[in-house]
Amino acid sequence: MPIVELLNIRKVYDTKVAVEGLSLTIEPGTMFGLLGPNGSGKSSSIRMMIGITRPDSGTVRLFDKPFDRSALARIGYLPEERGLYKKMKVLDQLVFLGQLHGLSASVASTRAKVWCERMQIADSLDKKTEELSKGMQQKIQFIAALLHEPDLIIMDEPFSGLDPVNATLLMDTLLDLRKQGKAILFSTHRMDQVEKLCDAIAIIYQGRLVLEGSMKSIKSRYPANRIHVHFEGDASFLSHAAIASAKTYTGLAEIILSDPHAAQSVLAQAIANGTAITRFEVLEPTLEEIFIETVGENVDA
Amino acid sequence: MLNFQNVWLIAKREYLERVRTKAFLLTTILIPVLMGGGGFASIFLASRTHSSAHIAVLTAETPAAKIFGADLKHELESGEDSQMKIDVDDNTPAVRAQLDQEMKAGSSHLAGYLQVVPAASASERPRFIYKARSVSDIGTDTTLKEGIKTVLTTERLTGVGMGATEIEGLMAPVEIETVGGNTLVAFFAAYALFFLMYLVIMLYGMNTARSIIEEKTSRVFEVLLSTIKPDEMLAGKILGVGSVGLTQIGVWMIAAAVCGTLFAGSIPGMAHGQSVLSAAQIFFFVAYFLFGYMIYSSIAAALGAMTNSEQELQQLNLFLVMPLAFCMLCLVSVIKNPDSTLSRVISLIPFCSPLLMNFRVSIGNPQPWELALSFVLMTLTLIAILWIASRIYRVGILMYGKKPNLPEILRWLKYS
Repeated sequence: MPIVELLNIRKVYDTKVAVEGLSLTIEPGTMFGLLGPNGSGKSSSIRMMIGITRPDSGTVRLFDKPFDRSALARIGYLPEERGLYKKMKVLDQLVFLGQLHGLSASVASTRAKVWCERMQIADSLDKKTEELSKGMQQKIQFIAALLHEPDLIIMDEPFSGLDPVNATLLMDTLLDLRKQGKAILFSTHRMDQVEKLCDAIAIIYQGRLVLEGSMKSIKSRYPANRIHVHFEGDASFLSHAAIASAKTYTGLAEIILSDPHAAQSVLAQAIANGTAITRFEVLEPTLEEIFIETVGENVDA
Repeated sequence: MLNFQNVWLIAKREYLERVRTKAFLLTTILIPVLMGGGGFASIFLASRTHSSAHIAVLTAETPAAKIFGADLKHELESGEDSQMKIDVDDNTPAVRAQLDQEMKAGSSHLAGYLQVVPAASASERPRFIYKARSVSDIGTDTTLKEGIKTVLTTERLTGVGMGATEIEGLMAPVEIETVGGNTLVAFFAAYALFFLMYLVIMLYGMNTARSIIEEKTSRVFEVLLSTIKPDEMLAGKILGVGSVGLTQIGVWMIAAAVCGTLFAGSIPGMAHGQSVLSAAQIFFFVAYFLFGYMIYSSIAAALGAMTNSEQELQQLNLFLVMPLAFCMLCLVSVIKNPDSTLSRVISLIPFCSPLLMNFRVSIGNPQPWELALSFVLMTLTLIAILWIASRIYRVGILMYGKKPNLPEILRWLKYS
């Protein structure tokens, strides 16, 4: 049962096409990464998913049913533009937001305290929001999105502006939630995070989907055709027939193969030539490279 | 369909966050104190202020003209409403030239000079030519006219053989005793209610707009919109802020009723225990506040949704202030004749009813059907404004950055 299903979504603002022909599916228990450069339509897509705006055409299905506002109580949302009531006390704020998601005041208050403990901001509960640092406010908003135990968690750029310690805290929390079977969608333009966390991704560029699928299947489509060789001495192995291109630095060659199965043969050649190899590494393409490759292709097209 | 649970939550938050502030406490206490103080002070000052200008009166060199000059000097220097300083001199070109010179150089405090040109025949009045340093000095002008009239009348009455005491008795001001209250106090109360209404409608209308801008700049909107509808937010906000206003008015009305009743005995013409404000005045004040507030705050909500900052809001304030200022302008004619056709028509304009119809409840005799009609018209207006405002709001709150122009706003109305 897919948690989110977008089918051929299109949204136009005045003359600018924000999203065009977007389709994607998010299964339960997945960490889904929505990638794309700034202004590519990530936030617009998310807004349509949760009914803040309506698509001009196409359908949105949530929890295997056509879009219905009652489904919103099962969604936790952290918008890209963080916003809290500045003058309100943290606990009051969390209780208010929890109540808007259908919790009773007492349940919201209990959960808020537990979560603040967990996110290490328990001593801020009685403070006004404006007295807190940006990072702490972000954690509070993170909690607000999770208070009602949503089955679908949508986070727009959740790690931006956080220090590494807090970013890790957030990531661990998200991984925990995935283990509990929640579906998590987050958007980002930071590829390294996606690579670590996500089970499935979608890359959008200029409002269009350019790549979608599970991390594994995408990576398998882009074969491990990169080699990093640390060596001393003769560099003549770099003229091997299977090498498409090679950048050489002192003692290091970064090689791209035309035939991904030729890695061993390159190594054999180097040893045969008497080159001293200190390190030989076959690399999968990074998501960043895949991203640049797909987006780059698209720009040309 | 609105989810009233959500509307209630939004309204409750808005109410509690506002009522708990020091600003609320402060305005609750200060507004009536300042208004009461200001009102009494202006009435007090108005009754005590006399023209104290220094003026030269130039008369012809005949004995009759001299007597007239002396009488006018006496009247203007020690009359009912006047404490002027008067020099009497001959009306010759030389004297005039010298006075012109003095006024031009600013060497004396002379405000102007009055030439008295004798009449051609005994049955006519003399001609008066006043040359003032400032032509806009309306106070002195009025006092002069009154003074001259008094002197002319007195001289004419003396001329027909009336005695001085008799004339004095005739010219004395008339006192009217009003039964069942003090006209001045009642009028002052009505006047105070008018300004209070003006103030609270303005204040709470602006508060609605400001609270929307605050949510817009802090971007709380996005989170809220992920569970509730814009219409629910708008409804909750208007109800929440309005309840704060109602609370404040409630405090004022109870205080006014208590104080008015306690001190009524010490006001001349009022019986002990008689209240300054009648129950009807309080009832209509609250009712008209509710409608007026809702009309103006809906406009303010639309304005707030259109703009991105307080500064931008200030530029659009005009739409709120203009109708209220129009009511102020009409106030004078309504005071003069509360039940004239003009007063009846303008007090039925839905934007003016909360101020002017409510004012007429205090000082005039509006027919029950007029009151009913004003509420019907206000309700219809309110529905129309809410229809427009909610559409602008729905689209506007998600627009950051650029300020929309008119065609864009019209397009918003067609959305959704």
